[in-house]
Amino acid sequence: MHVSDYLIELKGVSKVFPGVKALDKVSFLLKAGEVHALVGENGAGKSTLMKIISGIYNRDEGEYLIDGVNIGDLTPKKAQEHGIAIIHQELNMCQDLTVAENMFLGREKSKLGCVQQNEMNRAAKEILDKLKIDIEPDTVLRKLPVSKQQMVEIAKALSTNARILIMDEPTSALSDREIVELFDIIKHLKGNGCAIVYISHRLEELEHITDRISIFRDGRHIVTKDYKDTNLNEIISYMVGREIKEKFPTIECKRGQKLLEVKNLCSGIVNNVSFDLSQGEIVGFAGLIGAGRTELVRALFGAEDITSGEIYLKGKKLNIKTPKDAIVEGIVLGPEDRKKEGLCTKLSIRENIGLANLDQICSKVGIVNRRKENKLAEEAVEKLKIKTPSPEQVVNNLSGGNQQKIVVGKWLVRSAEVVIFDEPTRGIDVAAKVEIYNIMNELKRQGIGVIFVSSEMPEVMCMSDRILVMCNGRITGDLVSRETTQDEILRCATKYSH
Amino acid sequence: MQNKEHSFNGMWRQIVSIRGMGQVISVSIALIIMTIVFGIINPLFFSPDNTTNLLRQVVPIMIIGMGQSFVLITGGIDLSIGSVAGMSSMISATLMTAGHMNPWLAALITILACCVVGLFNGLLVSKAKLPAFIATLGTMIIARGIAQLVNGNMNTDGIPESAKVFKDLFYYGDTFGLYNPIWIGLILFIFFNFILSRTRTGRHTYAIGSNYEAAKLSGVNVILAESKVYIFSAFLAGIVGLMLTAQSGMGTMSAGNMYELNAVAASVIGGVSTMGGQGLLFGTVIGSFIWGVLNNGLQFAGAPLALRNLVIGVVVIISVLIDRVARSGKFDFRKVLKSKGVNISS
Repeated sequence: MHVSDYLIELKGVSKVFPGVKALDKVSFLLKAGEVHALVGENGAGKSTLMKIISGIYNRDEGEYLIDGVNIGDLTPKKAQEHGIAIIHQELNMCQDLTVAENMFLGREKSKLGCVQQNEMNRAAKEILDKLKIDIEPDTVLRKLPVSKQQMVEIAKALSTNARILIMDEPTSALSDREIVELFDIIKHLKGNGCAIVYISHRLEELEHITDRISIFRDGRHIVTKDYKDTNLNEIISYMVGREIKEKFPTIECKRGQKLLEVKNLCSGIVNNVSFDLSQGEIVGFAGLIGAGRTELVRALFGAEDITSGEIYLKGKKLNIKTPKDAIVEGIVLGPEDRKKEGLCTKLSIRENIGLANLDQICSKVGIVNRRKENKLAEEAVEKLKIKTPSPEQVVNNLSGGNQQKIVVGKWLVRSAEVVIFDEPTRGIDVAAKVEIYNIMNELKRQGIGVIFVSSEMPEVMCMSDRILVMCNGRITGDLVSRETTQDEILRCATKYSH
Repeated sequence: MQNKEHSFNGMWRQIVSIRGMGQVISVSIALIIMTIVFGIINPLFFSPDNTTNLLRQVVPIMIIGMGQSFVLITGGIDLSIGSVAGMSSMISATLMTAGHMNPWLAALITILACCVVGLFNGLLVSKAKLPAFIATLGTMIIARGIAQLVNGNMNTDGIPESAKVFKDLFYYGDTFGLYNPIWIGLILFIFFNFILSRTRTGRHTYAIGSNYEAAKLSGVNVILAESKVYIFSAFLAGIVGLMLTAQSGMGTMSAGNMYELNAVAASVIGGVSTMGGQGLLFGTVIGSFIWGVLNNGLQFAGAPLALRNLVIGVVVIISVLIDRVARSGKFDFRKVLKSKGVNISS
């Protein structure tokens, strides 16, 4: 019997989709009890690799061994039986079922056709307790915040006796405190011999838990190293294939006049918010999840009802009731969830950009001028350096970074006064992030006021001129980014937490 | 927590905490109020004759409604059930008249035929991935066509006297003082409610409606689970078809016309969400009673058919609106109750 050091071995694995070679003879080795980080730009092949490991896709060539035994074709259910569990980036659970029901979905314990509800609740509670997760198993999933739902997904994976846990961007929706809780759970799992494949764009957090790291680029496995033998800069240069000189490009420019004045704004959870924004200034909004930042910017954009308060642009009082009002005044928003709120994913680049600018490309009676539309789309693609064979490309097929560029870019072909970015670099790779930062800087240079909401502390601290911290719907800090510290920001962000 | 919890209080709390019970309780209250109001308008509403009449009208809708509820919970819809009921009536009647067949054999073949239609629907939706609306719209027309073809585009003759036992079982007879259709409805409710609330199949039904992808990735056989609900739906429509044959003693090609819409109405009023993933079969029962009481009560109050349709239509729209508002979470009725110490989940 061949005894192997590795739980999983992939050798020479390739996968081809029509028109693109997603994986090109890659290898991947996973040891028991290790946290193995997998990084790479969007399109590097990480997602495809994970889907092959978990049985969602089948490889076109190459070997796949589990515990030293060659595996043929795999299905999600068979992979589960081998002890492989995957936690997707977008939560994949049934919102209307309870925690226990979700955990045992597809594997319900039943006697004589009758589902043993109490038995499943008990088993669920056992696992939740072991992981020190404080959730009742009969809670309907819809009631739990995203971070707790993620913990349920982990508990679910463990209830299948998973020895190999794949986590895809697990921290993208978690606050710093919740990330610490997650890392504790990961360390606990490690101790039990579980192997964890950890995919993340947030390179800074890797140092807390990673044992080994594998870097992929353009569908090829570049290198695997022990984490302690490498550093962030080296990792990034492997990922990108070249050195990135500056992670956070900043520019200095003179702050202009007061552009936007918000006074005592109330909207949903937003409670009496007042702040100013000047021309050529980048203001970053920091805070924990649920602090009300997204609600605030949506209110400014007319996407949420404003119950009281005033907004002044260049001294003029605005009456914003719908996004159209905001757009007309020159306030534009790149929303938080680009696939759901920022793009029509089934339409082309041209159509998406055209949609935001119909007033510019339509005649008075509403007929679209195709030539103007094409020109606008080409302008945008060029200005934003969007990687695409043509503006007819369907947006869904673009990488996360390019999609994000369109989310914001569609507004940039009009002259805007205030551009708001909500989580502009969520889920996109290092190189694309820099391009987004460059866009922000370009707007700053043109004297436009930029507001951005972000949960990544380094980003907020480096890119903003001023940082406004929110907690529980209120502004708890107005800090100059050069003079403040992460601790001060965190203190403001937790001022009203219990 | 009080030390001495009155046992009724404890049981009440348990019932109330069943997921989806919230809306069911409110429609039950609405039903009671409606019944009283109609009784006041015309006390004859409560007469034993009318009560039996009412129950007889409600049962077919309730049975078909249960089938429709299963489909709605998966996020689909079954537009074909009215036609399947008609097809069932025609096939059974034709076999019994022109086919000279023993009524029980005829009934068996009929139900099998309906299940085949159900399977056809199920595969169209789950394997061919056709939108349920389109697939069942097609089947609706096909089933109606079969109903017309089976007896050469004519209504059938009266079914023979030898089928009296059949007629009694499915419509005219009574057992222990209750008319048989009511027993049939009751037994079917108990059976299908058990399936929905206590078996894997039921669990998978909710799961598919709530998040199809998640169910699939969790190892649920989604094709089987989705097909099952359409088979249930067609099966129940088949039973109602047999009841229609027993009631009229013959097969009419137009039997069951528009039943699918009444079934949707009953489900929706009873709290089954059109967006899938939520709903209780007991709610559908209440919903069908509300439909019946509205129909019957308005008839008794002297309202013309058109007005009845109008009222029912309005009630359906209001029910869907309530479902949407409750789902969007914008109005939290539960928070109000919670502040008064009542805990309702869902």
